[in-house]
Amino acid sequence: MRINLLIRTAVLVLLSSGAGAADHLVHQKGRAFSVATMTVARGEPVVFENDDTVPHNVMSTTPENAFDLGSQMPGNSTPVTFDRVGVVAVICAIHPRMHMTITVTN
Amino acid sequence: MGRHPALKVLTVLVAIVPLAGGIARAAALVGETTHMRAESVPVSALSQLKANYRQPDTIPFPPSDPYTPEKALLGRMLFDDTRVSGAGGLACASCHNPAFAYGDGLAKGIGAGLKPLDRRSPSIVNGAWGVLFMWDGRASSLEEQASGPIEGPREMNQPLDRLVPVLAKIPEYQSLFAAAFPRRKMTPETIVSAIATYERTIVSGVAPFDEWIEGDEAAIPDAARRGFTLFNTKAGCASCHGGWLFTDDGFHDTGLPDDDLGRGQLFPRVVMMRHAFKTPGLREVASRGPYMHDGSLPTLEAVIAHYNLGGRDRPSKSELMTPLGLSADEQADIVAFLRTLTSSIRPSVIPTLPR
Repeated sequence: MRINLLIRTAVLVLLSSGAGAADHLVHQKGRAFSVATMTVARGEPVVFENDDTVPHNVMSTTPENAFDLGSQMPGNSTPVTFDRVGVVAVICAIHPRMHMTITVTN
Repeated sequence: MGRHPALKVLTVLVAIVPLAGGIARAAALVGETTHMRAESVPVSALSQLKANYRQPDTIPFPPSDPYTPEKALLGRMLFDDTRVSGAGGLACASCHNPAFAYGDGLAKGIGAGLKPLDRRSPSIVNGAWGVLFMWDGRASSLEEQASGPIEGPREMNQPLDRLVPVLAKIPEYQSLFAAAFPRRKMTPETIVSAIATYERTIVSGVAPFDEWIEGDEAAIPDAARRGFTLFNTKAGCASCHGGWLFTDDGFHDTGLPDDDLGRGQLFPRVVMMRHAFKTPGLREVASRGPYMHDGSLPTLEAVIAHYNLGGRDRPSKSELMTPLGLSADEQADIVAFLRTLTSSIRPSVIPTLPR
Protein backbone atom coordinates (compact mmCIF):
# COMPACT_ATOMS: atom_id res chain seq x y z
CA MET A 1 0.00 0.00 0.00
CA ARG A 2 2.75 2.43 1.03
CA ILE A 3 4.93 1.38 -1.89
CA ASN A 4 2.01 1.91 -4.29
CA LEU A 5 1.53 5.39 -2.89
CA LEU A 6 5.22 6.15 -3.31
CA ILE A 7 5.26 4.88 -6.90
CA ARG A 8 2.16 6.84 -7.81
CA THR A 9 3.61 9.93 -6.23
CA ALA A 10 6.94 9.43 -7.94
CA VAL A 11 5.20 9.17 -11.31
CA LEU A 12 3.29 12.31 -10.53
CA VAL A 13 6.48 14.11 -9.59
CA LEU A 14 8.28 12.95 -12.74
CA LEU A 15 5.36 14.00 -14.92
CA SER A 16 5.22 17.34 -13.23
CA SER A 17 8.94 18.08 -13.48
CA GLY A 18 9.01 18.47 -17.25
CA ALA A 19 9.36 21.45 -19.50
CA GLY A 20 7.35 23.73 -17.24
CA ALA A 21 9.91 23.52 -14.47
CA ALA A 22 12.25 26.10 -15.94
CA ASP A 23 9.38 28.51 -16.43
CA HIS A 24 8.88 28.97 -12.72
CA LEU A 25 12.31 29.18 -11.22
CA VAL A 26 12.98 30.97 -7.95
CA HIS A 27 16.60 31.84 -7.20
CA GLN A 28 17.86 32.55 -3.70
CA LYS A 29 21.18 34.25 -4.35
CA GLY A 30 22.19 36.96 -1.90
CA ARG A 31 19.66 35.82 0.71
CA ALA A 32 16.76 37.04 -1.43
CA PHE A 33 14.09 35.39 -3.55
CA SER A 34 14.55 36.46 -7.16
CA VAL A 35 10.87 37.35 -7.49
CA ALA A 36 8.38 38.81 -5.04
CA THR A 37 5.30 37.34 -6.72
CA MET A 38 4.61 34.54 -9.17
CA THR A 39 1.53 33.00 -10.73
CA VAL A 40 1.36 29.31 -11.60
CA ALA A 41 -1.36 26.93 -12.66
CA ARG A 42 -2.36 24.20 -10.28
CA GLY A 43 0.01 21.26 -10.68
CA GLU A 44 2.74 23.28 -12.42
CA PRO A 45 6.07 22.94 -10.63
CA VAL A 46 7.87 25.87 -9.06
CA VAL A 47 11.57 25.14 -8.72
CA PHE A 48 13.38 26.61 -5.74
CA GLU A 49 17.07 26.78 -6.56
CA ASN A 50 19.57 27.55 -3.83
CA ASP A 51 22.20 29.39 -5.81
CA ASP A 52 23.34 31.19 -2.67
CA THR A 53 26.39 30.43 -0.53
CA VAL A 54 24.45 29.41 2.60
CA PRO A 55 21.64 26.91 3.34
CA HIS A 56 18.06 28.13 3.14
CA ASN A 57 14.81 26.67 4.50
CA VAL A 58 12.06 27.46 2.00
CA MET A 59 8.58 26.78 3.31
CA SER A 60 4.97 27.85 3.02
CA THR A 61 3.07 29.46 5.86
CA THR A 62 -0.24 28.89 4.07
CA PRO A 63 -1.83 25.76 5.61
CA GLU A 64 -3.80 24.93 2.43
CA ASN A 65 -0.58 24.65 0.44
CA ALA A 66 1.91 23.72 3.13
CA PHE A 67 5.42 22.48 2.41
CA ASP A 68 8.80 22.65 4.09
CA LEU A 69 12.00 21.95 2.16
CA GLY A 70 14.05 21.81 5.34
CA SER A 71 17.69 22.78 5.10
CA GLN A 72 18.35 23.19 1.38
CA MET A 73 22.06 23.27 0.73
CA PRO A 74 23.74 25.54 -1.82
CA GLY A 75 23.57 23.98 -5.26
CA ASN A 76 20.30 22.13 -4.67
CA SER A 77 17.09 22.64 -6.65
CA THR A 78 13.72 21.29 -5.58
CA PRO A 79 10.38 21.46 -7.43
CA VAL A 80 7.16 22.03 -5.56
CA THR A 81 3.68 21.71 -7.03
CA PHE A 82 0.50 23.13 -5.56
CA ASP A 83 -2.86 21.39 -5.75
CA ARG A 84 -5.07 24.04 -4.27
CA VAL A 85 -5.99 27.35 -5.83
CA GLY A 86 -5.12 30.44 -3.81
CA VAL A 87 -2.30 32.65 -2.64
CA VAL A 88 0.63 30.87 -0.99
CA ALA A 89 2.94 32.76 1.36
CA VAL A 90 6.50 31.46 0.97
CA ILE A 91 9.33 32.32 3.33
CA CYS A 92 12.81 31.21 4.23
CA ALA A 93 12.44 30.17 7.85
CA ILE A 94 16.09 31.04 8.48
CA HIS A 95 16.25 34.46 6.81
CA PRO A 96 13.20 36.65 7.51
CA ARG A 97 14.00 39.16 4.78
CA MET A 98 13.16 36.40 2.26
CA HIS A 99 9.46 36.22 1.52
CA MET A 100 7.30 35.98 -1.60
CA THR A 101 3.82 34.95 -2.66
CA ILE A 102 2.74 32.44 -5.26
CA THR A 103 -0.74 32.68 -6.73
CA VAL A 104 -2.05 29.26 -7.77
CA THR A 105 -4.72 29.38 -10.46
CA ASN A 106 -6.91 26.79 -12.16
CA MET B 1 26.93 25.47 -14.65
CA GLY B 2 25.46 22.13 -15.72
CA ARG B 3 23.66 19.69 -13.53
CA HIS B 4 25.63 16.68 -12.41
CA PRO B 5 23.60 13.46 -12.68
CA ALA B 6 25.80 11.63 -10.19
CA LEU B 7 24.86 14.12 -7.56
CA LYS B 8 21.12 13.64 -8.03
CA VAL B 9 19.48 12.53 -4.88
CA LEU B 10 15.90 11.54 -4.31
CA THR B 11 14.73 13.29 -1.23
CA VAL B 12 11.14 13.76 -0.20
CA LEU B 13 8.31 12.59 -2.42
CA VAL B 14 5.32 13.68 -0.46
CA ALA B 15 5.13 16.63 1.85
CA ILE B 16 2.63 16.22 4.59
CA VAL B 17 3.68 19.11 6.70
CA PRO B 18 1.03 20.31 9.08
CA LEU B 19 2.01 23.64 10.54
CA ALA B 20 1.23 24.90 13.98
CA GLY B 21 -2.52 25.17 14.19
CA GLY B 22 -2.68 24.16 10.54
CA ILE B 23 -4.12 21.29 8.63
CA ALA B 24 -3.48 17.58 8.78
CA ARG B 25 -2.57 17.17 5.12
CA ALA B 26 -0.83 19.54 2.78
CA ALA B 27 -1.71 20.02 -0.86
CA ALA B 28 1.77 20.95 -2.01
CA LEU B 29 4.01 18.22 -3.40
CA VAL B 30 7.76 18.43 -2.97
CA GLY B 31 9.61 16.80 -5.83
CA GLU B 32 13.08 15.51 -6.50
CA THR B 33 16.00 17.57 -5.29
CA THR B 34 18.87 17.90 -7.73
CA HIS B 35 22.33 19.24 -7.10
CA MET B 36 24.33 21.42 -9.42
CA ARG B 37 28.02 21.99 -9.16
CA ALA B 38 28.50 25.05 -7.04
CA GLU B 39 30.33 27.88 -8.67
CA SER B 40 33.60 28.35 -6.95
CA VAL B 41 33.26 31.55 -5.03
CA PRO B 42 36.57 33.36 -5.14
CA VAL B 43 37.63 35.10 -1.99
CA SER B 44 36.86 38.71 -2.67
CA ALA B 45 39.65 41.17 -2.73
CA LEU B 46 40.09 42.88 0.60
CA SER B 47 38.90 46.22 -0.74
CA GLN B 48 35.68 44.63 -2.00
CA LEU B 49 35.18 42.91 1.34
CA LYS B 50 35.63 46.17 3.18
CA ALA B 51 32.91 47.78 1.07
CA ASN B 52 30.40 45.27 2.46
CA TYR B 53 31.01 46.59 5.97
CA ARG B 54 30.62 50.34 5.47
CA GLN B 55 28.16 52.01 7.84
CA PRO B 56 25.12 53.75 6.34
CA ASP B 57 24.77 57.52 6.70
CA THR B 58 21.18 57.70 7.91
CA ILE B 59 18.91 55.89 10.34
CA PRO B 60 15.79 54.36 8.78
CA PHE B 61 12.48 55.28 10.42
CA PRO B 62 9.29 53.59 9.20
CA PRO B 63 6.71 55.79 7.44
CA SER B 64 4.16 54.56 9.97
CA ASP B 65 6.23 55.94 12.85
CA PRO B 66 8.47 58.73 11.60
CA TYR B 67 11.11 60.49 13.67
CA THR B 68 10.43 63.69 15.51
CA PRO B 69 12.70 65.08 18.22
CA GLU B 70 9.69 65.45 20.52
CA LYS B 71 8.85 61.74 20.22
CA ALA B 72 12.46 60.72 20.75
CA LEU B 73 12.71 62.94 23.85
CA LEU B 74 9.53 61.47 25.33
CA GLY B 75 10.72 57.96 24.46
CA ARG B 76 13.98 58.57 26.22
CA MET B 77 12.15 59.63 29.39
CA LEU B 78 9.92 56.57 29.28
CA PHE B 79 12.89 54.30 28.55
CA ASP B 80 14.66 55.41 31.72
CA ASP B 81 11.59 55.63 33.95
CA THR B 82 11.06 52.86 36.51
CA ARG B 83 7.46 54.00 36.97
CA VAL B 84 6.70 52.31 33.64
CA SER B 85 6.85 48.92 35.39
CA GLY B 86 4.05 47.48 37.49
CA ALA B 87 5.97 47.54 40.77
CA GLY B 88 7.80 50.76 39.90
CA GLY B 89 11.25 49.23 40.17
CA LEU B 90 12.28 48.35 36.62
CA ALA B 91 12.88 50.53 33.59
CA CYS B 92 13.66 49.49 30.03
CA ALA B 93 17.15 50.75 30.85
CA SER B 94 17.45 48.26 33.71
CA CYS B 95 18.09 45.48 31.18
CA HIS B 96 19.23 47.71 28.32
CA ASN B 97 21.74 49.75 30.23
CA PRO B 98 23.92 52.14 28.21
CA ALA B 99 26.78 51.37 30.59
CA PHE B 100 26.72 47.79 29.24
CA ALA B 101 26.26 48.72 25.56
CA TYR B 102 22.49 48.57 26.14
CA GLY B 103 22.55 45.07 27.62
CA ASP B 104 22.83 44.30 31.33
CA GLY B 105 26.09 42.41 31.66
CA LEU B 106 24.30 39.39 33.12
CA ALA B 107 23.92 35.83 31.86
CA LYS B 108 20.15 36.03 32.32
CA GLY B 109 17.96 39.11 32.53
CA ILE B 110 16.38 40.01 35.86
CA GLY B 111 12.62 40.45 35.82
CA ALA B 112 9.77 41.17 38.19
CA GLY B 113 10.54 40.34 41.82
CA LEU B 114 14.25 40.21 40.95
CA LYS B 115 13.72 36.73 39.50
CA PRO B 116 15.97 35.62 36.65
CA LEU B 117 14.49 35.32 33.18
CA ASP B 118 15.13 32.52 30.72
CA ARG B 119 17.43 34.32 28.30
CA ARG B 120 20.11 36.97 28.24
CA SER B 121 18.99 40.56 27.71
CA PRO B 122 19.94 41.41 24.13
CA SER B 123 21.50 44.75 23.31
CA ILE B 124 19.18 47.15 21.52
CA VAL B 125 21.95 49.05 19.74
CA ASN B 126 21.22 49.47 16.01
CA GLY B 127 17.70 48.09 16.41
CA ALA B 128 16.52 50.58 13.76
CA TRP B 129 17.78 48.18 11.11
CA GLY B 130 16.23 45.05 12.66
CA VAL B 131 13.73 42.81 10.89
CA LEU B 132 12.34 40.68 13.71
CA PHE B 133 12.97 41.31 17.39
CA MET B 134 13.57 39.24 20.52
CA TRP B 135 15.83 36.18 20.51
CA ASP B 136 13.03 34.13 18.95
CA GLY B 137 11.84 36.84 16.55
CA ARG B 138 8.34 36.98 17.96
CA ALA B 139 8.07 40.78 17.58
CA SER B 140 7.89 42.15 14.06
CA SER B 141 8.60 45.81 14.87
CA LEU B 142 10.37 47.84 17.52
CA GLU B 143 6.95 49.12 18.60
CA GLU B 144 5.79 45.55 19.21
CA GLN B 145 9.10 44.74 20.87
CA ALA B 146 8.74 47.69 23.23
CA SER B 147 5.37 46.51 24.47
CA GLY B 148 6.49 42.92 25.15
CA PRO B 149 8.79 43.41 28.17
CA ILE B 150 6.61 46.17 29.65
CA GLU B 151 3.53 43.95 29.66
CA GLY B 152 5.27 40.61 30.30
CA PRO B 153 4.20 39.31 33.72
CA ARG B 154 7.72 38.04 34.42
CA GLU B 155 9.35 41.24 33.23
CA MET B 156 7.99 44.73 33.93
CA ASN B 157 4.51 43.37 34.52
CA GLN B 158 2.55 46.46 33.56
CA PRO B 159 -0.26 46.16 31.00
CA LEU B 160 -0.06 49.24 28.79
CA ASP B 161 -3.70 50.17 29.34
CA ARG B 162 -2.95 50.33 33.05
CA LEU B 163 0.21 52.33 32.44
CA VAL B 164 -1.72 55.13 30.71
CA PRO B 165 -3.47 56.39 33.89
CA VAL B 166 -0.21 56.07 35.83
CA LEU B 167 1.58 58.40 33.41
CA ALA B 168 -1.45 60.67 33.03
CA LYS B 169 -1.16 61.61 36.69
CA ILE B 170 2.28 63.10 36.05
CA PRO B 171 1.73 66.64 34.68
CA GLU B 172 5.01 66.92 32.83
CA TYR B 173 4.31 63.69 30.93
CA GLN B 174 1.04 65.20 29.75
CA SER B 175 2.89 68.11 28.18
CA LEU B 176 5.56 65.82 26.73
CA PHE B 177 2.88 63.63 25.12
CA ALA B 178 1.05 66.72 23.81
CA ALA B 179 4.27 67.93 22.17
CA ALA B 180 5.12 64.52 20.73
CA PHE B 181 1.61 63.64 19.54
CA PRO B 182 -0.28 66.91 18.92
CA ARG B 183 -3.30 65.16 17.41
CA ARG B 184 -3.28 61.98 19.49
CA LYS B 185 -3.85 61.11 23.10
CA MET B 186 -1.74 59.26 25.60
CA THR B 187 -2.46 55.63 24.65
CA PRO B 188 -0.62 52.31 24.60
CA GLU B 189 0.18 53.01 20.93
CA THR B 190 1.70 56.44 21.54
CA ILE B 191 3.71 55.11 24.50
CA VAL B 192 5.40 52.39 22.43
CA SER B 193 5.75 54.71 19.44
CA ALA B 194 7.79 57.12 21.57
CA ILE B 195 9.95 54.35 23.05
CA ALA B 196 10.57 52.78 19.63
CA THR B 197 11.48 56.16 18.15
CA TYR B 198 14.02 56.73 20.90
CA GLU B 199 15.41 53.21 20.49
CA ARG B 200 15.98 53.83 16.78
CA THR B 201 18.28 56.70 17.68
CA ILE B 202 20.60 54.38 19.64
CA VAL B 203 23.21 53.56 17.01
CA SER B 204 26.85 52.65 16.96
CA GLY B 205 29.38 55.39 16.40
CA VAL B 206 32.64 55.11 14.55
CA ALA B 207 34.75 52.15 15.65
CA PRO B 208 38.44 51.57 14.89
CA PHE B 209 37.26 48.98 12.37
CA ASP B 210 35.31 51.71 10.52
CA GLU B 211 38.39 53.92 10.41
CA TRP B 212 40.32 51.00 8.95
CA ILE B 213 37.84 50.28 6.19
CA GLU B 214 37.89 54.00 5.37
CA GLY B 215 41.60 53.75 4.76
CA ASP B 216 43.42 54.33 8.06
CA GLU B 217 45.69 51.30 8.05
CA ALA B 218 46.98 52.07 11.54
CA ALA B 219 43.49 52.08 13.08
CA ILE B 220 43.54 48.39 13.98
CA PRO B 221 46.40 46.03 14.86
CA ASP B 222 47.82 43.37 12.57
CA ALA B 223 46.10 40.62 14.55
CA ALA B 224 42.71 42.22 13.94
CA ARG B 225 43.40 42.49 10.23
CA ARG B 226 44.25 38.81 10.11
CA GLY B 227 41.15 38.13 12.17
CA PHE B 228 38.96 40.02 9.68
CA THR B 229 40.24 37.83 6.86
CA LEU B 230 39.65 34.66 8.88
CA PHE B 231 36.18 35.93 9.83
CA ASN B 232 35.32 36.11 6.14
CA THR B 233 37.09 32.96 4.97
CA LYS B 234 38.25 29.96 6.99
CA ALA B 235 36.14 30.62 10.06
CA GLY B 236 33.00 31.30 8.00
CA CYS B 237 31.65 33.78 10.56
CA ALA B 238 30.44 36.10 7.79
CA SER B 239 28.00 33.46 6.55
CA CYS B 240 25.70 34.67 9.32
CA HIS B 241 27.52 37.72 10.69
CA GLY B 242 28.10 39.48 7.36
CA GLY B 243 27.42 43.11 6.45
CA TRP B 244 27.99 46.31 8.38
CA LEU B 245 25.71 45.17 11.23
CA PHE B 246 27.39 41.76 11.31
CA THR B 247 24.11 39.85 11.20
CA ASP B 248 21.92 38.11 8.63
CA ASP B 249 18.90 38.85 10.86
CA GLY B 250 18.34 35.10 10.68
CA PHE B 251 17.68 32.22 13.06
CA HIS B 252 20.10 29.36 13.63
CA ASP B 253 20.69 26.52 16.04
CA THR B 254 24.35 26.99 16.89
CA GLY B 255 24.52 23.80 18.92
CA LEU B 256 24.52 25.14 22.45
CA PRO B 257 23.62 22.34 24.86
CA ASP B 258 20.49 23.88 26.37
CA ASP B 259 16.88 22.81 25.94
CA ASP B 260 15.39 26.18 24.97
CA LEU B 261 13.46 25.69 21.71
CA GLY B 262 13.81 29.35 20.74
CA ARG B 263 12.09 30.09 17.44
CA GLY B 264 10.92 26.49 17.45
CA GLN B 265 8.25 27.53 19.92
CA LEU B 266 6.72 29.62 17.12
CA PHE B 267 7.36 27.02 14.37
CA PRO B 268 7.13 23.72 16.26
CA ARG B 269 7.05 21.54 13.15
CA VAL B 270 9.93 23.21 11.32
CA VAL B 271 12.97 21.19 12.31
CA MET B 272 15.53 23.89 11.54
CA MET B 273 13.81 26.36 13.86
CA ARG B 274 14.19 24.18 16.94
CA HIS B 275 16.80 25.68 19.25
CA ALA B 276 17.23 28.48 16.69
CA PHE B 277 17.90 32.02 17.89
CA LYS B 278 18.38 35.31 16.15
CA THR B 279 21.86 36.12 14.93
CA PRO B 280 22.94 39.09 17.01
CA GLY B 281 24.87 41.91 15.39
CA LEU B 282 28.46 42.21 16.54
CA ARG B 283 28.99 45.93 16.86
CA GLU B 284 29.94 46.78 20.45
CA VAL B 285 30.26 43.03 21.08
CA ALA B 286 33.30 43.32 23.34
CA SER B 287 31.27 45.50 25.71
CA ARG B 288 28.31 43.24 26.15
CA GLY B 289 29.30 39.84 27.45
CA PRO B 290 28.44 37.28 28.62
CA TYR B 291 27.39 35.84 25.30
CA MET B 292 24.81 33.77 23.43
CA HIS B 293 21.07 33.68 24.05
CA ASP B 294 21.58 31.86 27.34
CA GLY B 295 24.58 33.85 28.53
CA SER B 296 26.47 30.57 28.88
CA LEU B 297 29.76 31.74 27.37
CA PRO B 298 31.55 34.31 29.51
CA THR B 299 34.10 35.66 27.05
CA LEU B 300 34.67 36.20 23.35
CA GLU B 301 37.44 33.61 23.57
CA ALA B 302 34.89 31.04 24.80
CA VAL B 303 32.52 31.98 21.97
CA ILE B 304 35.15 31.43 19.29
CA ALA B 305 36.17 28.15 20.95
CA HIS B 306 32.53 27.01 20.78
CA TYR B 307 32.28 27.76 17.07
CA ASN B 308 35.65 26.13 16.48
CA LEU B 309 34.35 22.87 17.94
CA GLY B 310 31.10 23.03 15.98
CA GLY B 311 28.50 22.70 18.72
CA ARG B 312 26.26 19.88 19.81
CA ASP B 313 24.92 17.68 17.00
CA ARG B 314 21.16 17.42 16.59
CA PRO B 315 18.79 17.54 13.59
CA SER B 316 18.16 21.26 13.92
CA LYS B 317 21.80 22.33 14.11
CA SER B 318 22.76 24.69 11.31
CA GLU B 319 24.66 23.02 8.48
CA LEU B 320 27.12 25.88 8.85
CA MET B 321 28.11 24.70 12.33
CA THR B 322 31.02 22.39 11.59
CA PRO B 323 34.41 22.13 13.28
CA LEU B 324 36.61 24.89 11.91
CA GLY B 325 40.11 23.71 12.70
CA LEU B 326 41.24 27.13 13.86
CA SER B 327 44.56 27.27 15.67
CA ALA B 328 44.89 29.08 19.00
CA ASP B 329 46.57 31.99 17.20
CA GLU B 330 43.80 32.18 14.62
CA GLN B 331 41.16 32.21 17.34
CA ALA B 332 43.02 35.01 19.09
CA ASP B 333 43.17 36.96 15.82
CA ILE B 334 39.39 36.76 15.41
CA VAL B 335 38.87 37.99 18.96
CA ALA B 336 41.29 40.85 18.24
CA PHE B 337 39.17 41.75 15.21
CA LEU B 338 35.94 41.66 17.24
CA ARG B 339 37.47 44.07 19.73
CA THR B 340 37.85 46.66 16.97
CA LEU B 341 34.04 46.88 16.66
CA THR B 342 33.68 48.92 19.84
CA SER B 343 32.69 52.43 18.85
CA SER B 344 32.70 55.81 20.42
CA ILE B 345 29.00 55.33 20.99
CA ARG B 346 27.33 58.57 21.99
CA PRO B 347 27.53 59.01 25.78
CA SER B 348 24.18 58.71 27.48
CA VAL B 349 23.19 61.38 29.97
CA ILE B 350 20.53 60.26 32.43
CA PRO B 351 17.59 62.63 32.01
CA THR B 352 15.78 64.35 34.85
CA LEU B 353 12.45 62.58 34.75
CA PRO B 354 9.03 64.23 34.84
CA ARG B 355 7.36 64.71 38.21
